[in-house]
Amino acid sequence: MTGRTGTGPIWRRGFSPPPFIPYLVAGDPDLETTADYLKMAARMGVFAVELGIPFSDPTADGPVIQAASQRALRHETALESILGWLSGIPPENLPPLYLMTYFNLFHHMGVERFCREAQRSGRIAGVVIPDLSFEDGACYRPVFRAYGINLVGFVSPTTSPARARKIVRESRGFVYYVGLMGTTGSALTLTDETRRIVRDLRQWTSLPVCVGFGISSGAIAREILEFADGVIVGSRLVQDEREPDRWKKTFEEFVLSAGKGKG
Amino acid sequence: MKGGLTSSSMRRKGTPVLPDIRGYFGEFGGRFVSETLMSALLELEKSFREAWREKAFRDEFRETLADYSGRPTPLYFAESLSRETGGAEIWLKREDLNHTGAHKITNAIGQALLARRMGKSRLIAETGAGQHGVATATVAARLGFECQIYMGSEDVRRQALNVFRMKLLGSGVCPVETGGKTLKDAISEALRDWSRTVRTTHYLLGTAFGPHPFPLIVRSFQSVIGQEVRRQILAKKGRLPDMLVACVGGGSNAMGLFHPFIGDESVNMFGVEAGGRSITPGEHAARFAGGSVGVLQGTRTFVLQNPDGQIENTHSVSAGLDYSAVGPELAYYRETGRITFDWVGDDEALEAFQRLSRTEGIIPALESSHAIAYGVRLARSMSPGQIVVINLSGRGDKDVMEVSRILESKGEAGS
Repeated sequence: MTGRTGTGPIWRRGFSPPPFIPYLVAGDPDLETTADYLKMAARMGVFAVELGIPFSDPTADGPVIQAASQRALRHETALESILGWLSGIPPENLPPLYLMTYFNLFHHMGVERFCREAQRSGRIAGVVIPDLSFEDGACYRPVFRAYGINLVGFVSPTTSPARARKIVRESRGFVYYVGLMGTTGSALTLTDETRRIVRDLRQWTSLPVCVGFGISSGAIAREILEFADGVIVGSRLVQDEREPDRWKKTFEEFVLSAGKGKG
Repeated sequence: MKGGLTSSSMRRKGTPVLPDIRGYFGEFGGRFVSETLMSALLELEKSFREAWREKAFRDEFRETLADYSGRPTPLYFAESLSRETGGAEIWLKREDLNHTGAHKITNAIGQALLARRMGKSRLIAETGAGQHGVATATVAARLGFECQIYMGSEDVRRQALNVFRMKLLGSGVCPVETGGKTLKDAISEALRDWSRTVRTTHYLLGTAFGPHPFPLIVRSFQSVIGQEVRRQILAKKGRLPDMLVACVGGGSNAMGLFHPFIGDESVNMFGVEAGGRSITPGEHAARFAGGSVGVLQGTRTFVLQNPDGQIENTHSVSAGLDYSAVGPELAYYRETGRITFDWVGDDEALEAFQRLSRTEGIIPALESSHAIAYGVRLARSMSPGQIVVINLSGRGDKDVMEVSRILESKGEAGS
């Protein structure tokens, strides 16, 4: 697993795998299905999967992911249980994994303990924590780094250029550009602003700059991939999570679109 | 009012300036929000600090409080209640006499003036009991803001009268159906709205909670409560009170009363949380009795959570105290031992609701009834001549229907 999910960026520009990061809610509709989806993502060779750990109060998420989180909370989806569950899955059936959830779950487990367990599992490339601000994250960044867990930095349309430079400098794994103002699942419309900001970010870092929030179709994904390194697709996929056939079809469409985008 | 609205005790030597530059009170506080909201919080902090330094801004705030809300509110000696209780003198800070019936209007006025200064055109707010929603809708009407209030659907049911008031004042009211359908869920929904609309909208948070700088801003505006109490009790009794009592939901009426006395060692302070039906998960909102340190809705503080770190739902007869977390500054002062916390259950609060109505002809809000119950308990154990000041944070008109329903179901109506 090291090479792929160890420290440092998990891919570099000029990549071959589809520049597409699907987001799944662990345990929606159940963990067996999640494992199945992860296996498929691994087989397709996507850059990474964002694996959402359900939290009771997902303030950055829209209705689709809120509802999925509520469903998933009925299963064994505590942060610690998920680490244990992942350890039982053969590494070849897992894509590079970024755990995505709200800071309270890490805080509650203890950031250092989480990092130790995550490192031991050999399954975790990094974490995406929407409510850990750059400032509050300062005291935790050294801990994540010491254990080789990438802490992904967020930039949004409201981030000032000076602030964005600082954030991308401290980011690890990739840079998450929040393509729209709002919660997950709203509809993204591409503007010149998005293009300009992503172009700036790519000048300031060698990490891949990925755009997420509101990517609802392969067509939008393709358009974004003309200027960004990757797309993160959440609600559009989570919407189909309960129906494996549908999910797989949507997933394949995005993989195909992402592949074409690099032409 | 010499020295403006800043308390002299804030400036006392040896008292640390809190929150610190990162928005922390010791290890509590911070700004645990998505990056989309960070620029708004940074702008808000800058605007607030600038405005608060300006005499013109403070004057407009003070004049609005006086002419529109009716400040100063009286500090009233509850002679009859004191006699019935036996023990210390019980004094009530009559925040219920504010325009719209609670202390909430003070913060709403302050933040609305700030929002106007920042050029925002729209206000959003969360509300539990509906008092903060009504206060926000009121200032929005007066200052010409578009306004949207988020309220848990369980609270919409319990506080139907306040829902009508908000609509009458021209605000939209959005019932929130997620989670426990109470205050916590309303805050999450307001945060979601704010992340969509942050460029034009000010989130008028109603309590000394949430991400920095909200705890600082709300406490600063509400401190007028304690400043008045200090002046009033000195004028009437020539000395400071022995005990201060306030109910604690997020903490705005408590911090407002306590903050100007933090440096006065002779003044003891008690925060009263909602004990609900019992101190078991899901049945109460006593964060210090059943909670642990966590991060929720922008701040690191005491939170009711399960062994996995998921936030627990709460219960209290009073919608305004029905909340899983507590303001970070109160968590800090609990840790330093400056403020003592305890809880009062539903039944004892209902009893105090009726007792104050009967003895003083004042119907208190169910939130404030928790403080009344505890203040009576304290007074009973104290000697005559000692002084307890209870913050009567709101009036109970909004609660009479709900209390009538509860008492009827218990077979106590009219007994």
